[in-house]
Amino acid sequence: MTNSPTRIDAHLTEEERHGLADDSLPPDRRADAEAHLAMCAECAGDVARLHSLMARMTQLPDTVDAELDTLWPAIRSRIERGKVVSLGGEPAARRSRRPVRQAAIVAGVAAALVLAFTLGRETRPQANVVLTPGLNTTPIVSIADSSRAYQEEVQSLLEELELRRSTMRPATAASVDRDLRIIDGAIDELTDALERDPNNPALRQLLAASYRQKRDLLKQADNAS
Amino acid sequence: MHGVRAQVIAILIGAVASGSASAQLPVLRARALDATAAVKVFNPAGSIRLVGWDRDSIVVRGRVARGAHFFFGGSSQGVKLGIEDPINGGDSRPSDLVIYLPRRSQMSIKSASADIAGTDVSGWFYSVSGSIRLAGSATSIEAETMNGTIDLAVTVPWVRARTGDGTLTLRGAAEDVDLSTIAGTLNVVSTSIRRGRVSSVTGDIRVLGSPPADALLELSNHEGAVDLRLPRSVSGLFDLSTISGTIENGFTGARPAATSTTRSRMLRVRLGDGDAHVTVRTFKGPIRLNPR
Repeated sequence: MTNSPTRIDAHLTEEERHGLADDSLPPDRRADAEAHLAMCAECAGDVARLHSLMARMTQLPDTVDAELDTLWPAIRSRIERGKVVSLGGEPAARRSRRPVRQAAIVAGVAAALVLAFTLGRETRPQANVVLTPGLNTTPIVSIADSSRAYQEEVQSLLEELELRRSTMRPATAASVDRDLRIIDGAIDELTDALERDPNNPALRQLLAASYRQKRDLLKQADNAS
Repeated sequence: MHGVRAQVIAILIGAVASGSASAQLPVLRARALDATAAVKVFNPAGSIRLVGWDRDSIVVRGRVARGAHFFFGGSSQGVKLGIEDPINGGDSRPSDLVIYLPRRSQMSIKSASADIAGTDVSGWFYSVSGSIRLAGSATSIEAETMNGTIDLAVTVPWVRARTGDGTLTLRGAAEDVDLSTIAGTLNVVSTSIRRGRVSSVTGDIRVLGSPPADALLELSNHEGAVDLRLPRSVSGLFDLSTISGTIENGFTGARPAATSTTRSRMLRVRLGDGDAHVTVRTFKGPIRLNPR
């Protein structure tokens, strides 16, 4: 922080506002900050609101851990039920919320992929559980969180590709783009088909395979730069 | 007249050949190396040939493009060698390297357009557009190329290979495999795969050879065909399904059934004792199950 004359005219940073509100701002920075407060109603008002909020927080009773232990299973159950519903919900509602629907499909498919891969490498009878339609969806729901990470991985790799694109040879970049178009075309077709037939396990597996292809391609492209 | 023309052409070819040879300079390096040492190699263009041997040393021979910088360094636990990329980012001139190294070394080979060939070597092999050909025995193989071909004729417990547009062929005795292409044809000629995942987006998949009794194979394709040509003695359970493609069964009289809600077709065929389990899924590519 500088002590230049213009500094007093500048609005306080978020850190300075919180520092004044909870009295943690270092003394050497306090003088300038308070000088600014005296001439700026906006910052002064904001600091006052923060101070009030903190005061109310300190007056709240301590949370009893036992209460959380009691409440959490029910909350968790509702979250999990919501995940199942999102995979096979009302078609009309889904039509108006395509991105959400696609995310749900991807989450389910990726979850199935992870589960199929994991179980497939362990025991054959368990692998059949994944491949057979109409069975309990609990295992898929229980690893839904992993599917989000899978989806994020693809997005992260796409961003990485854009960053590295300038270091790639033009022919290589063109090859990656061509392959991405092929895979994205397949993903679009499968996504549309899943909208019409959301409970088709073969479609879910094929979509999972396509996403896996895309992830692997992006990883491969990462090495090409 | 024809004789004179032939002589002129021969002289020209000789001149071009000698010019090409003089554009490269010989290189020879060697050092002691542990049996399981890590070996990293980079050669952007030309060729890399790897030979696993039973000695405790590494020897590098070859011809390096004039003006290119060859590097070689490391210790008995690991070595890094190859050709540096041009500083100006231009195209690299071809250099050809032949590397002899302990067969249990863990390789990490990378090229831009250089072809990679190896015998009795294990590790990671990557090329942007060059081909990858590996043979012999290995502990594990991971081969990747963006649009080159991959040809593996190996005995290996674990192999992963993928290419975009190139053809991928796996022969030999691999146990745990993960193979994929995007548009390239994928050929599997093996009777040893116990766990396998084979996939493509638009390339055809062809499988020749009966899976072992406890095999668990999964083949998927979006648009390309999946062609299983198996001996009549094959034993296994085959779950075939396609969304809008066709299913051809040349083994039994069973025909695919349409699901009640969509045009999807499914067929389960049990042949022999049915120990192996093969699952095939396509979106619109045909599935063909036929005897060889």
